[in-house]
This record gives sequence, C-alpha cells and structure tokens, in this order.
Amino acid sequence: MHKLFVHPLPVRVWHWINALGFVVMIATGIQIRYIGLIDLVSFKPAVEVHNAVGFVLIANFFGWFLFYLFSDKIRVYLPELSPAKHFAASFRQLKFYGYGIFKGQPNPHHVSVYHKFNALQSMTYQIVMLLLVPIQCFTGVLLWDVERFQSAITLAGGLRVVDTVHVLVFIFFAGFIFIHPYLASLGHTWSAHFKAMITGYEEVEDE
Amino acid sequence: MISLVSKRANVAAAAVATLRLATRAMLVGAALALLLPPSGLASAADGALSRDDQTCLACHGQPGMEKDMAEGEKLSLQIKGKAFAASVHNAIGCSACHADIDLAKHPAADKKKQTLREFSIAKVAVCRQCHEDKSKLYEESIHAALLREGNPMAPLCSDCHAPHAVLAKAAASGPIAEVPCRKCHGAVFKAYAQSVHGLARAKDSNGGAPICADCHRAHDVTAAASGNHIKEACLACHFNALQLHKSWLPNAAHHFEAVSCPACHAPMAPRRVDLKLYDSSARERVAEKSGVPRFESRAMQADSKGQGLDALALQSLLKEFNHDNGDTILRGRLEVDGGPEAHMLAAKGKAIKDCKTCHREGAAPFQKVTISIVGPDGRPLRHGAQQDVLQGPTSIDSVRGFYAIGGTRIKLLDILLVLALASGIAVPVGHLSLKWLFRKYPRQSSVPSAQENSDSASDKNNS
Repeated sequence: MHKLFVHPLPVRVWHWINALGFVVMIATGIQIRYIGLIDLVSFKPAVEVHNAVGFVLIANFFGWFLFYLFSDKIRVYLPELSPAKHFAASFRQLKFYGYGIFKGQPNPHHVSVYHKFNALQSMTYQIVMLLLVPIQCFTGVLLWDVERFQSAITLAGGLRVVDTVHVLVFIFFAGFIFIHPYLASLGHTWSAHFKAMITGYEEVEDE
Repeated sequence: MISLVSKRANVAAAAVATLRLATRAMLVGAALALLLPPSGLASAADGALSRDDQTCLACHGQPGMEKDMAEGEKLSLQIKGKAFAASVHNAIGCSACHADIDLAKHPAADKKKQTLREFSIAKVAVCRQCHEDKSKLYEESIHAALLREGNPMAPLCSDCHAPHAVLAKAAASGPIAEVPCRKCHGAVFKAYAQSVHGLARAKDSNGGAPICADCHRAHDVTAAASGNHIKEACLACHFNALQLHKSWLPNAAHHFEAVSCPACHAPMAPRRVDLKLYDSSARERVAEKSGVPRFESRAMQADSKGQGLDALALQSLLKEFNHDNGDTILRGRLEVDGGPEAHMLAAKGKAIKDCKTCHREGAAPFQKVTISIVGPDGRPLRHGAQQDVLQGPTSIDSVRGFYAIGGTRIKLLDILLVLALASGIAVPVGHLSLKWLFRKYPRQSSVPSAQENSDSASDKNNS
C-alpha cells in the first residue's frame, strides 16, 4: 500500500461543504414540501435556511467549477470518448459491484491522480456536476424570487414546470445521498475513502 | 395638472349646462311671478327657498301628496322643504329639473308612466344635463351594463342620490349606515360594517377609513372580481404594503400576484382558487363576447357529469379556447369565495401569517376550484372544477402558472420520492446483506487489468 495525493484541498473543502449543504437542502426541502406531514421545523425557517444554504452551494459550485477550469485536474472529469471503451469499463465495474465484490475480487479500477473516477463514477459525476447541479441551482434561484424571474419562468414553460424539474432533481439527490456514502465505504476498508476525502491521500495497493 | 385642467373643463361644462337650465328656470319663474304677489323673493344662496320654489312647495310640501302610476304603484310627490332648502339643488330650484311642467296645465292629466322604475329611468336624462361627466362614468359601469341588460335592480341616479335632499360630499362624510350601496348590497355592507374599515369609519367618518366608493369607485364601478383595480385601491392607501411584506414573507411579490389581499386579511372568509382564462399574447383575460356565449356551453360540454371539470376535461376546455386563440392559458389566483366575505377584513394583527394555512396537503383554500372568464357585463362567469386539476400530472401543462408548495403538489412526484428514498436505503442494505452472506470469500489483492495498466501508465506519462 502506498499513499497517493488525489484530492487537492479546494476539492476537499468543496466536497464537505457540498455534502453538508446537500443534507441540509434535502432535509429542509422535505420539510418545506411536506409540512403538516413532518413538522420538525416550521415552514418559514425551513424556507429561509433552504434559500441561504442554496446560495452557499451556488457559490461553492462556482468555486469547484473555477478550480477545475484553471487546474489540470479537470482531466478527471473529461469523458471517455470511445463508447466501446466506456461501455466495457462500465460493464466491468458493474460486474464488480454486482458479483465480484461478493467473491472478494479486487476492484477493477485503480485510482491514479488523473484517473480517480471509475467509468461509472465518471459518467455519474459528469451528469451530476455539469447537468443536475446547475439545473438545481438555476431552478432554485428562479423559485427563490418568482416575480423577479417571471419572464425566465414563463420562457421555461411556467412555474409548475420549473418547480417540477427542481423536485425531480431533488428526488434524484434524495436517493443518491444514501448510495453515495455506501459506495464510498467500499474501499479496501470501509473508512478508506472517507479518510482520503479528509487528508487528500488515497491508499493505493502496490503493483 | 391634466386632471386639474379636466376638472376645470368639467366645471365649465356643468356651469354652461346649469346656465341653460337656469334660463329655463327663469322662464318658468317669470310665468310663476305673474301668478304670485311680488313680495318675499328669497335668495336660494342663503339656504332659504326661492319664492318660486316656495310656490311649488305650497302644494308639494303637503304630506301624503302622491300620484298613481299606470300599474298601480304610487309616486310620492311630497318634497320636504327643509331638506330641499339644505340640498345643493336648492341653488337651481325646482324648475331646473322639472322644466317639462307646463304651468298652464299643471297639475296635468298627462300620460301616466307605467311604473316608478320607468319614471326614474326617464329622469336619468335630466340628471345628465348637468352631470355629464358623472353620467359618462356611469355608462361605463357594471350598473349601467345591468341596466342595458334589462336588470330591474340596476341602480339609477335617484336610487343612490335623493334628488331633493342631495348634499355635497354626503357619501364621503356621512354615517356609514346612510351609504346608498347598502340598499342592494346588504350582505356586503353587513360584512363591511364589522370590518376593520367599517368600524374605523363608524368611529370617525373623517378618519380616512374607506367606504364603498373609495375602493369600488362611485359612478364607474366595475365588477370587483375582474381586473386589478381593487388591489390597486388597497395599495393606494397601503402603499408600503409590499415592502412590509417583503420583510417577513418569502416571495412576497409573487404572493401579491397570486393571492388576493382579503385571502389573508379576511381570516374568517372561505377561500377558493380561481383559474382565469388568460390570453397571453393580448395580455388580458379572455372575455365572453356579447351574444356569442362560448364559455358556459363549452364548460358544460366538457363537464358532462356536472361534477365540476376534472383534469382531462379542463385540458379539453383549454384546447377549445386555444383553437380560437393559440395563447390561452390559465392564471390562478387564491381569493375569497364570495363578495360579502371579501369585505370581512380584520385588523392587521389578525391576518393569516401561518404559512401552513396554504402550504400543506389538503389545505382548505385549495379545496374549491373555479374556472372563469370575463362575462359580457364585466362580471366573471365561473364553472366549478375538481380539486385534482391542481394536483394531477396534467397540471404541469394546464395550470402551469399556479403552484403553492405543499398545498398543490403533484401526487405522482410524492410516489417518485418514496421510491427514490426506498431505493436509496434498500440498495445499500441489500448490497451489504449480500456481502455479509458471502463473507467467507476472502478479499483478493488487486491484479490490474491490461486496460487499467494502460490508463495508469498514461496518467503517469501525463504527470
């Protein structure tokens, strides 16, 4: 085993702000949408926290975006352009999670500085970070002040369209928030990837 | 400035008309003077009756003086001299409005008017001679529209203004119980009298609390449920209302658009959602053309069971209106259910401030839904809709502009959320359980594949 520095400080800071922010956003989002059914916090404070944390996450997203834009680490997000290669790698990864992991087989993906994501992660994070998070930020801002952004909302198809998109992405994240830490626990020890996201160093098997 | 000029023009026009009538009055007066002794010519300006008018009142001041109408009603001909002397019309005298009286034949056995109503309608033209400006405003009003429709209750000049006792600015400063509107709008007046405005007005009629005409306008009164003028009337006095709401209410500006003022400020009133057909290209509400009734027949056709339009029926109704005009949408607004209820305005501290009132499942304000169009007389025509039009998946399209978090949420999305949460929990638990079941297999060390090797090598080369 040797240590490999794969998570620079800005990425780790972004990640933990994002993680905490997402938990708060999902919790307050559920509270806002289901007041009467769940009454942990009353409606207005839930809305205020949701709005405030939303803006923190938007700033955090831009921090993440600018870091990768001006860093060579952006390569971790570059897509595999060969569909055949991407499919093969994805299938191999799926096979590992669905079968190999139970038989004690090693993870077919090997973390390196510019290749920290496996094929499934790579695709997921491209969609999450470049599509879903921007959509969620954008629709969230529109819903934050409906009258101010009325023309954009009308252009998007109306308040219900914007809200439904916001809720659909929220539903995805509400499910994702459970799967993500579970997958993170599938390192060589359950805590290996969590520690790596704190220290920046992944423990990689010697070849 | 413009309004000052126009007021002056109106005053000038009224003066000319008054002069014209005064000339006629002089002629009648001159004729009367020939019949009467030359003493006691009193001046109307000092609040006393002119001698001509005293002559009229010598008979018309007698109690019980009345005339039979053709259909048996009795028209009172008694004029209370004191009230007339104090009225603004004392200045022009009896003959100004009753120039049709031929003294040679008075009292005339003229052709009887059929009814009191017919008599009052005929007298509208007399008022118009001096009050042309007010008459024009009246012509644009819902009251005049009702009169044109032949509504026997539509108010005429004399229904609101007692012509022989009319005082300057009486409506603006008199006791609330004397406001003429209450004669027809009794239920509304009752609600108003108990409202924060009515109570303040009763306490101090000059304190600035509004009475009917302050919000609804006096002569050009239009249907309250059509247009924005009532909201504008609220904001004309409560001009900093939006700023005050912004200090505590999220999305305050949108609440001002989507929720009517009394929906929160009349806390005891029942509420409903009115989905208004709106022409988004013309930027105005869709109005029923006179003589071409489309709305009710289409709504009845779509609502064949008569239980209110369901989500699909609403879509088909919208489609029909879109066939006429491709940009018809529904604009929703939360408002109080009924005119009297809209006047039950409470003191500021009692207004609804609890978000849960609307933003929770099954909230009362969303239990009643109507679809509306502006009728030919300016009043809305409504048809009931089922509550699911706000909560079904089709609402994304048909009610795209109206949404209240929690209160009108789409049920299908709730199911998706439950599935996502269940999957989010079930996948890790299931996977972990399988791992535990297969725990006898030891973890093998990594043997990189050729592919991974090449990736790693490539990374190393790049670094």
